Amino acid sequence: MNKKKWPKVLRAVIMIGILLFLLFPIYWMLITAFKTNMEAYLYPPSLYPQHAVLDGFINLFTENNEFFVYYINNFYVSFASALITCVIAIFAGYSIARFHTKWNKVFMAILLSSQMFPIVSRMISLYSLMSKAGIINTRYGLILAIVAAQIPFCCLLLSSFFMNIPREIEEAAYVDGASRNTILFKLITPLVTPGILAVGIYAFLMTWDDYLHAATLIQSDELRTLSVGITLRYLGELSYDWSLINCISVIGTIPMVLVFFFFQKYMVKGLVAGAVKG
Amino acid sequence: MKKGSQKLSDNAYSFVLTIPAVVLTVSFIVVPIIQSIIMSFEKYGVKNIISGKKGTWNNFRNYTKLFETGQIPEAAWHTIVFVIFVIIFQFILGMALALILNRDFKGSRFVRSIMMTPWVVPTVISGLIWMWLFQPQYGFVKYLISFVTNGRVNDLAILNNPSTALGGIAVAALWKQIPLMTLLLLAGLQNVPSDILEAATIDGAGPVKRFFSITIPFMAPVIKIAVSMEIIENFKQFPLFWTMTGGGPNGSTTNFAILSYREAFVSMNLGSGAAVTTIWMILMIIVVGSYQKAFIVQDMS
Repeated sequence: MNKKKWPKVLRAVIMIGILLFLLFPIYWMLITAFKTNMEAYLYPPSLYPQHAVLDGFINLFTENNEFFVYYINNFYVSFASALITCVIAIFAGYSIARFHTKWNKVFMAILLSSQMFPIVSRMISLYSLMSKAGIINTRYGLILAIVAAQIPFCCLLLSSFFMNIPREIEEAAYVDGASRNTILFKLITPLVTPGILAVGIYAFLMTWDDYLHAATLIQSDELRTLSVGITLRYLGELSYDWSLINCISVIGTIPMVLVFFFFQKYMVKGLVAGAVKG
Repeated sequence: MKKGSQKLSDNAYSFVLTIPAVVLTVSFIVVPIIQSIIMSFEKYGVKNIISGKKGTWNNFRNYTKLFETGQIPEAAWHTIVFVIFVIIFQFILGMALALILNRDFKGSRFVRSIMMTPWVVPTVISGLIWMWLFQPQYGFVKYLISFVTNGRVNDLAILNNPSTALGGIAVAALWKQIPLMTLLLLAGLQNVPSDILEAATIDGAGPVKRFFSITIPFMAPVIKIAVSMEIIENFKQFPLFWTMTGGGPNGSTTNFAILSYREAFVSMNLGSGAAVTTIWMILMIIVVGSYQKAFIVQDMS
């Protein structure tokens, strides 16, 4: 091998090593879901299912189907949070980008600092505050708390999209006598559609992933969301049913993967814009 | 209203637009945080929630107890070791992958897209995936290690051993976070001007020198933000710890998040849990603050 080839080989080896680390666990989850429990508990493990079966999935649909209650709840909460977050982020993001008032400086400071604090710290007092307000253990209480958690990042993210819209467009419409609301909702908002998509998807993914809000604010089983439902119902027993758990993992991950890869273009742009500029 | 709203001054209009966001942030984040700081000085348990009674001042008892039992120093140690370990490896591996993917080769776009998959796997499910890989009797990692060491190490139970459990969780965290780090660093690499790199090559600068004196300085803003995001994220990490070990074995993976959650919602001693989160927040402000300061000093030199 000549001297010039070495860096290329080295790069390929490093890349394949990191990719194996990132992708093998996904492969392992997928094939375990299609193994029988007998085969999953084989040592040394088989690297691909000898007899691919749907037992785990059938079991999940027929016997252990409490899972789908959590699953549907998760969809419901995630959609609602994403939608509300988008609307609020349009208002606030536009305000931050367009008006540099004193109040907006204070507002930005509130957003930036509240992004940093751990969720547990506010759940401790939210738990008692929301009990007093009577919105604990309700879906909309949960949704509001989650939306509040998404707002800081999402407002800053969307404002970076609003900042890229040239002001001249607005001024022209203003001269033509359009009202402020018309300008914002009919003229400017359609121009930041990619940003709104990025915010919506981000909020959806983050809510889908939520654990702490649901764990502390929801007590009844029929309102539980995915992450909490899984840990409470399927974990913590002496023997884990790994084939079933991997089926749950597959089904729990699919919506996220679909959403992400379908909207990848917006998502990547949005994440980069939000993190790097915001 | 349509025409009239133009008469609204800039100030008023922008204020009105921020109201929903402000109301939610203040009532669900700012007020609860302030209240939890107040609660940390009080005796506040389940009784207070049920009866609606106010907590009573207990003379720093929440704090003194947590320090006497050594729970706070231990949680601080676990949190910080975890953060440092994850950040260092995440940065090295993320940077390596970003540098490789930044060169356009056949399939680089495909790799860029598929490598993001771990990032979209829900955190609890990532925990499950790694628990299964680490499973002590039938897990793949046991098989891999026994294969690599030629059968000498055969009884590795990573998550059940106090000296390796934290490392096991860190691996799962790395797995989930490397994709986003790589994505952000890739974006940062776009800021590195290729003509300067070429000029340096002609002047005889080797790849290592080019990397440290051109690439890194031009990427500094992105690195700063990406790393500080990940510091905050890992400082707060809860679901991975909770699903993979629950803080055990023997308290060896009890970080701030686990300690505060257990105090507040398992022992139902909300005052004590609030004391943990207060110290946790202070420590976080110090760490993030000094990190940012260190970066500013570096920028100027």
